[in-house]
Amino acid sequence: MDIAILQALLSGLAVGSSYALVALGFSVTFTTTKTLNFSHGEFVSAGAFIGMSVLFLAVGKPLTSTSFGGVQPDAMIQLLALLAALVVMGVLGWLLFVLGVRPFASRPGMAWVMSTLGFGVILQSIGLAIWGPKPVVVPSPVGDDVIRMFGIGVRPQELLMLAVSLVVMVIFDHVMRKTMVGKAMRAVAQNPSVASLMGVNVNLMMIGAFVVSSALAGLSGFMLAPIAQASLFMGLAVGLKGFSAAMIGGLNNARGCVIGGFLLGVLESFVNLWSAQWREVAIFALVILVLAIRPNGLFGSNMVEKV
Amino acid sequence: MKGLKHLGCVVGLSVVLCALVGSINNDYYLRIGFMMSVYYMCAVGMNVLVGYAGQKSLGQAGLFAAGAYAVALLTTKTEISPWLALVLAALISGVCGVLIALPSLRVKGPYLAMVTLAFGIVVEKLVSEWTDVFGGAQGLFGIRPLTWNDAPFSTQQWVWFSIGLSAVIHLLLRNLVLGRFGRAWLSLQADEIASASIGVRVYQSKVTAFVVAAVTCGIAGALVAQQNQYINSDFINFHLSIFILLIVLFGGVGNVYGPFVGAVLLTLIDAALSSWPSVQHFVYGALLLFALFVMPGGVMGTLTQLWSRQRAPVGERIPCSEEIKLQFSSEGSDDLLDVQSVSKSYGGVKPARDVSFRLKRGHIHALIGPNGAGKSTMINMLTGIVRPDKGLIKFVGQDVVGRQAQAICILGMGRTFQNLRLFGELSVLDNVMLGRHARMRNGFISSMLSLPFARREEASARERSLALLQMLDLLSLADKPAGSLSYGLQRRVELARALATDPQLLLLDEPAAGLNPQETSELGDLLVRISRMGLTILMVEHHMDLVMRISDHVIVLDYGVKIAEGKPAEVQANAKVIEAYLGSDVDAALVN
Repeated sequence: MDIAILQALLSGLAVGSSYALVALGFSVTFTTTKTLNFSHGEFVSAGAFIGMSVLFLAVGKPLTSTSFGGVQPDAMIQLLALLAALVVMGVLGWLLFVLGVRPFASRPGMAWVMSTLGFGVILQSIGLAIWGPKPVVVPSPVGDDVIRMFGIGVRPQELLMLAVSLVVMVIFDHVMRKTMVGKAMRAVAQNPSVASLMGVNVNLMMIGAFVVSSALAGLSGFMLAPIAQASLFMGLAVGLKGFSAAMIGGLNNARGCVIGGFLLGVLESFVNLWSAQWREVAIFALVILVLAIRPNGLFGSNMVEKV
Repeated sequence: MKGLKHLGCVVGLSVVLCALVGSINNDYYLRIGFMMSVYYMCAVGMNVLVGYAGQKSLGQAGLFAAGAYAVALLTTKTEISPWLALVLAALISGVCGVLIALPSLRVKGPYLAMVTLAFGIVVEKLVSEWTDVFGGAQGLFGIRPLTWNDAPFSTQQWVWFSIGLSAVIHLLLRNLVLGRFGRAWLSLQADEIASASIGVRVYQSKVTAFVVAAVTCGIAGALVAQQNQYINSDFINFHLSIFILLIVLFGGVGNVYGPFVGAVLLTLIDAALSSWPSVQHFVYGALLLFALFVMPGGVMGTLTQLWSRQRAPVGERIPCSEEIKLQFSSEGSDDLLDVQSVSKSYGGVKPARDVSFRLKRGHIHALIGPNGAGKSTMINMLTGIVRPDKGLIKFVGQDVVGRQAQAICILGMGRTFQNLRLFGELSVLDNVMLGRHARMRNGFISSMLSLPFARREEASARERSLALLQMLDLLSLADKPAGSLSYGLQRRVELARALATDPQLLLLDEPAAGLNPQETSELGDLLVRISRMGLTILMVEHHMDLVMRISDHVIVLDYGVKIAEGKPAEVQANAKVIEAYLGSDVDAALVN
């Protein structure tokens, strides 16, 4: 195989794994609550910046710094930062649900779209007030030396990201399909009132969905930061592509979302070989094409409305 | 005349504002005034889209860009007049509006919102990265501004022009939303299936709403580009899309004056905070949440609520019209509906297996059968909501299989739904007038300009609807939101709405469900009366006393198979029918 293509495939899979995580986050909240976080992208950025701030503090720099200046935090600190990012993002997800989704979920006209957007705008402007719009170079926990294999260069962070995402997805799949919690979540997705009659705590499940979804976004942002630099604007594109991935795969099918994410990452990487500026256009054209042929995505199931 | 009074007010206000502008010499303040009008234009079209048609668009910045860059390229690369360029820019944004509307024909709700968001982002990427054409962050210079007597507009003239244009747009769009098109948009927002079944062209209406929003937004973009004589990619960003939506939401979504109030207030806030961009965005986000929490109807919604509390309860405001002769067409002597070997299956479930029957003009037909027999599916296949797998459905001599619900309705098939599908927030009268929608002939332009023809059509639709309400004894409730009525009354409103479509065949899906014996018997009398006016009725019903009393012909389905048909008494005596309803001896033996 051509070296360039192999290279594109690998980096496409790495970026695709972040899309897949984001898509999974969309899928979780949509299947349980029929709502989504429209500022999911800002949550991805937030994950990156929370992780980064913990790193800053741990290496003895003020929170508001904008550069690591060559300091390399060790693995323990990185792990701590990841944990902090996941926890804080989980809390943010809970806040988002309680403040921005639950009060509006039943209102007509999709008021929750606006409220989640507003939440994201607030989050982003807080970030801008602290760090400004400049991107920050974040050191990777596995070093930044490019590994050479089969003639292609790979950054270790890309491999790490791919591996971590795959592990998370497998665990997620297992939990959703095999455990009682997963069954309860799917029951809530099917019919919340019946689920609550069966003794499922619907509210808790919905909060859980948002917590998990936001934590996934945070994980995605945290892992992406060393690859693409942490920026408050990085999330928008990732969030959109994550949603595109979810639409291609089928919003109500978690496995489909993951496949969609990888597909999109690889496609993007291939289009990039040919022309960088048409990358985004090509992706959204694909989304519209898929929706035109299968409105519920490639793997999504049909939702029939009873008349 | 209410319309004339409104026109006077708008003209008066515009003149006062223009005079005020004339007395200001400070360029900074004039620019704020200009931006108010520009944002107003963006918002007023958006209000049609969001507030009336109920479609979320998060990509208005893309349409703003379409207008701005169209005018920029046209005036820098060609020699055409800047005025012509402005008109062309509006048209080009309209075409982009069609483009953004296309996905809305396939996807709904959050999917659509996300697709429009993606559209905005793609345009943003295009204008910032395709530098050969759009200049990217460098931008395009030398855009020719509008001129008056061959001299470019002064800042003051810009503001005057934008105020005048805003007033015109307001008047035109107000005419639209208060008439036939506004009602159709509101019905889309409430229930697409119901609006299709009363003859509203769902796709066309949606696209129109998108185009309206696109054109106003494009004009706004073009004006900004021409006034600055410069445009670059920094103008076009996601925050602009959000800001436009925020104006609509904050001012009052679905309120004619909402965009005005929103544009004025938010432009002022915007100007006050312009030196702190991050605070600015924080305030937008906070306002968005605040508006949603505290005043879901926006400023105008809140004010209207206060206002209506002080007003006397309405009820007598609608004049009781003279009795109008209600007559339904019933020419022709052949069978009205001819169903031939229709089949449908959902996997293993087969709600129709080779069903054939004919409906005679002027008769009351009943379709009965145990639960799950396929009765509702049959009604849905007849009305074009469900497509049969095979078979032929001939209605007034035409094959209707594969036609859209609204086309079938226009042919003359009206229906009600098993689980009421009224437009709950609209008044009873509006619900019924929506039934007239497909029969009204005033087009987009004549409605927008409120031409005499459009006004006549509107008046006659109203008259006919009031007559129908009178016939169904609903006149006193004409003003009430349909959703606030009791179940039995809602059923009657739905019947009135179906009758308003001028049907030849009326399909009633369990019209007596949820009615008490007294109401059921009244309904029976009413149906007989309607049928005497020349209408053919096919009803699905479980109340056997009603079916046996009023129907001329009964068709019995069981598990998707027609097991009997004939006169009520014949059907009652049919062994297969008794077996389907009560079970056979063999079943009984098995149970024992």
